[in-house]
Amino acid sequence: MTADAAVPRLIERSWGGALSLALRLVLLLALILIVIQSALVVHARPQDLVTGAYGMADIIRRAMPPDFAEINKIWWPTLETVDIAIFGTVGGVIMATPLAILAAINVTPSRYLYYFARGVIGFARSVPDLVWALLFVTAVGLGPFPGALALAVHSVGMLGRLFAETIEHMEMAPIDALSLTGARRLQVFTHGVIPSVLPALLGITLYRLDENIRSSLVLGFVGAGGIGFELLSAMSLFQYRLVSLYLIVTFVLVIGAERLSALVRARLA
Amino acid sequence: MLRVCDLTMRYPNGKVALARFSLTVNAGELVVVLGGNGSGKTTLLRCVTRMLDPTAGEVWLGDTNLVGLSGERLRQARLPLAMIWQQANLVRRRSVLSNVASGTLGRHSGLWTALGGLPAEELRAAHGYLEEVGLGELALQRAGTLSGGQAQRVAIARALAQHPKVLLADEPVASLDPEAADDIMRLLRRLAAEENLAVLCVLHQVELAYEYADRVVGLRGGGIVFDLPCSELPRDAVRRLYLSEAA
Repeated sequence: MTADAAVPRLIERSWGGALSLALRLVLLLALILIVIQSALVVHARPQDLVTGAYGMADIIRRAMPPDFAEINKIWWPTLETVDIAIFGTVGGVIMATPLAILAAINVTPSRYLYYFARGVIGFARSVPDLVWALLFVTAVGLGPFPGALALAVHSVGMLGRLFAETIEHMEMAPIDALSLTGARRLQVFTHGVIPSVLPALLGITLYRLDENIRSSLVLGFVGAGGIGFELLSAMSLFQYRLVSLYLIVTFVLVIGAERLSALVRARLA
Repeated sequence: MLRVCDLTMRYPNGKVALARFSLTVNAGELVVVLGGNGSGKTTLLRCVTRMLDPTAGEVWLGDTNLVGLSGERLRQARLPLAMIWQQANLVRRRSVLSNVASGTLGRHSGLWTALGGLPAEELRAAHGYLEEVGLGELALQRAGTLSGGQAQRVAIARALAQHPKVLLADEPVASLDPEAADDIMRLLRRLAAEENLAVLCVLHQVELAYEYADRVVGLRGGGIVFDLPCSELPRDAVRRLYLSEAA
């Protein structure tokens, strides 16, 4: 390129650069405005945090030291919490797997079933697990069972979507090759599709189990059993030292589940 | 064994990929198809396997015309037809042996295979095919850990497990180094002779065609330019085939 030709292009580029800079400034300003409006909408009052610090410190003081003498009381609620999550995850996987097959565009047997499955998955996801829990508490009463059911149904939303996306993104050439050997549709699925996507599906399931353990704690607040229920009861009775014990157990449980899930997922990768 | 008669393929955009293409591949014969990019080679194989529906023509596999068949009848009729691809297309997380034995699935309809199992006798036979392609010792290794050449051999073993009469190969050595490519072509040559297979192989490597093919078919614009035994194939004709494509 000659110097004569290069100069106009350089000018053009510098104009482009200036425009790009202006655009970035506008975006930054928009971001700042969004943050300011969110602070206004939530009535953010940082000064209240400062004036209320004494109240918080008082509760923390009353929660110390944790009441380890009551340690024997926590085993059963802890087991309940873990089992709510396990039941919810397994139930979710059982319901989500066939829906995901129908909702994956590359393996679905029919477009109508595809839209139906996508609709069910979307609905399960859009209703919060707390709402599901309240519904199931109404249906089957208080206790861990409604919590487990709520997690199972809500898990269908997340698992179904991620399972379907995993199936949609898998390499199709080996599946086509297997079909051409004369294998039947179900054989192609069990010999080709499942082995290809199983590690990814297991990883997603473990991640969901980890999330469900955290969710099952919160579900206890609406009467679905487990540590959450005991935590709420202890707070209502102002037993703050017991509350701090439950919080320690919760912390260990959440971190333990997270680490275990990450470890197994790393092994599967 | 494989007879293609007046096969025509016109894509929805109007492009004619195959124009009244006819070809016969006899049992024990290795026929190589040469041609530049877009000459219709891959379309030919996809029409023969019925992965594409040809616009007109017939594809005879023994006494059965595959064109017009669908569903279960097509699946049954296609059983004697095996295919190997440019990439081996193995299920990477399964063992080499399982991949080979999966070539037998078309012959089994029981619950065991539907649930992901493989019959013990087929696994034993699959090991035999692996031995035949020289990879018996890798039977329990994951398919995803194989080199390109090894994976292609496993794909050939899987094709053999189908008990095919016709073997189609779509640029089976395209992603291999020259030594591995020679190995694969030698293997195809031997299988054609020993297993009495009709082998139709699409290639880009002219020298491999000269070395291993019984006949070479030149394809340009979806039509046959030449169909000659290797010994009678002038190098000029092959050169013109690619020059014309480039032009």
